[in-house]
Order: sequence, then structure tokens, then C-alpha cells
Amino acid sequence: MIYSWKKIVKHGIPLLTLTIFIEIFAGQLLLYKQDGLLWFPIFLISIPVINSVSGNIGSVLGARLASGLHVGYISISMKDKKMHDNLIISILMGVVTYAILAIVIYCIALFSNLRVGIGLFEFITILLSAGFLLICIVSLASVLTAFLSFKRGLDPDDMVAPVVTTIGDVMGIVFLFSIINVFGVGI
Amino acid sequence: MYAKEMVKQSLPLIVFCGLGAIVAGSTLGVMTDLFLEIPGLIVVIPAIIALRGNISTAFGSRLGSAYHLGIIDADNLWNEELKQNVIGSLMLSFFVSIIIGVLAYVTSILMNVYPNPIKIISIVLIAGIISGVILTILTISIIYLVFKRGYDPDNITGPALATFGDIITMLCIFGSAVLVEVIL
Repeated sequence: MIYSWKKIVKHGIPLLTLTIFIEIFAGQLLLYKQDGLLWFPIFLISIPVINSVSGNIGSVLGARLASGLHVGYISISMKDKKMHDNLIISILMGVVTYAILAIVIYCIALFSNLRVGIGLFEFITILLSAGFLLICIVSLASVLTAFLSFKRGLDPDDMVAPVVTTIGDVMGIVFLFSIINVFGVGI
Repeated sequence: MYAKEMVKQSLPLIVFCGLGAIVAGSTLGVMTDLFLEIPGLIVVIPAIIALRGNISTAFGSRLGSAYHLGIIDADNLWNEELKQNVIGSLMLSFFVSIIIGVLAYVTSILMNVYPNPIKIISIVLIAGIISGVILTILTISIIYLVFKRGYDPDNITGPALATFGDIITMLCIFGSAVLVEVIL
């Protein structure tokens, strides 16, 4: 038999516990801004969306880099042309996705009689700015994680997804609150 | 043409997952009163979503590898290997849910918010276990369908579980928060 539940638990606990520590920090940020989020629920709705997009784009990028490294058409160099292409396309896809989803969220908020309290244009700008910053950081993290883990003989496929989703969850909330502050919405 | 293919293959799925996340987010929007009634509840949200995502995608990718290794297939699905995987995933959900509840309580006190520890821990535990059971059943069903059709499970389980996982987890937190609020 290959699998045993004790081994699964033993191998899973350390990484999961580390992830949970960082995610609890993200949760405390939400608690710190809870009053503002409850006053502007449109941003509360946006948080899982911001995190999901960055996590997925970072994971897809990581998986593509991992395959490239395994097969050998991507080399471990910050100047690798194929890596640059992948990075730029990921960032562009992120921006397009955030623009589409921002409009969907705004429409849902309007139709569900939620207290919106912010203009469509302003909302899209906030979500796009936060999203753009986040995608840049997460994509960079994805490249670094893929390269570093490959260099050390670890499989990037196992490493990239947990690392980028965790970084994305915390930084997504940080960037969203920072951009909201810049716009002076008053959360 | 490299770029075009990449966009064509992954953009629709990423947008679709984003729409799923909007459903999960809307559940948060509905829970605003609960966040006021149960101080500290909002703290556990990112952690429990991450827990669910990590455990179920790892479960899915282990089943994918087991398929490629020839250990399980559509006709020989419910065997001892799968059972060990199921027990392992559920045990992880149980232990880590308790860790989340305790950490959320302790860190909230540092932030000068005083949650009811029994409430917070039982909400996370109930939500963690119920969403764990539902997602385990869902993963096995997805894997079964994927095997039957001869697809590669590695391409499908990840995004599918991420999307359904977020929604199911949010609904479970919502449900268990209401339940605990009524009982305790």
C-alpha cells in the first residue's frame, strides 16, 4: 500500500499550519477594517474574487513554468525570453479578468439592493489598481518559487500553488485597503 | 501563437472561477449581521478557505497520481488506498480547524477583541468537517467521472475543486455560524 492516513497527516500539518498562521494575519486585517467592510459590503464581496483570480493566475503560471523547466525549454534565468512572455501574458490576463469581474460584482451589488455607496468608474479603478499590483507581485512570486524549488531539486508543481495562494490572500487584502485609502473612500 | 493558445485555454476557466468566487463573496455579503453578532468570526474566513483549498487540491492531485500509477481506476475506486486518503484528508481538516479556531481566538485578544472561544472554535470545527465531507464526496465523484471519460484528472480536479470548494466552504461557515448562534 502506498498511502497511509498517518503519513498524509504528518506531511500535511507543517505546511498547513504555516499557511494558517499567515491567513490568520489576513483575517486580522479584515477584523481591523470590519466596520468599513460592513458599511461597504461591495468590497467584502470582492475579497474572495481578488484572491481567487490571483491564486489561479499564479498557479497556472507556475504550472507552465514547471513544465517548461522539466522539459527544458525554459532555463533558470531572469532574462529567459519564454519566461518573460509567460509573465506578461499572465499580467494581461489578470487585468482583463479583474475588469470583467469588477463590472459583474457592481451589477450584482446594484440588483441585489446592496448599499453600494461608490460609483462604477471609481469601483473599477480601485479593483483594477489593487488587482494589477497583486498580479505583478504574485506572478513574480510564482517565477521565483518555480525557479528556486527547481534549482533545489524540489518539484515546482508541489510548491508554487500553496506559496502563491497564501501570498495572494494576504497581499490582496493589503493592496485593496491601501488603494481604497488612496481614493479616500473612508473604510 | 503561443500567447494566443495560452489565453484561449486558461482565460475562460480563470474568469469562470472568478464568477464562482463572486458567489462565495456574496455569501460574505449576506453574513454582515453575523459578523456584528459574533466578534472575531471574520478572522477565520481566509484561513478556512485556504485550509479547504489546500487539503482538497492535494487530495485531488494525489488521486490523479494514483490513477497514473494504476492504483485506482473507475472499476476499482473504493479500495484501501482511497480509504487511507479520505481518512487522511478528514483528519487534517479536523486538526487544522482546531488550530484555526484557537489562533483566531488568541490573536483577536491581542487586537483587543474578545470573541467567545467556544463559539469560534465550534463554528470553525463544524464548518471544517462538514465542508471536508462534502468536498471529499465531490472529489471522488469528479474523479470517477473523469476516469470514466478517460480524461487526465490533473487538468480538471484543481480548478473544479478550487471553485466549488470556495462556495461550499463559505456556505458551511454561514450555516455553522447560524447553527452555533442559535444553539449557544
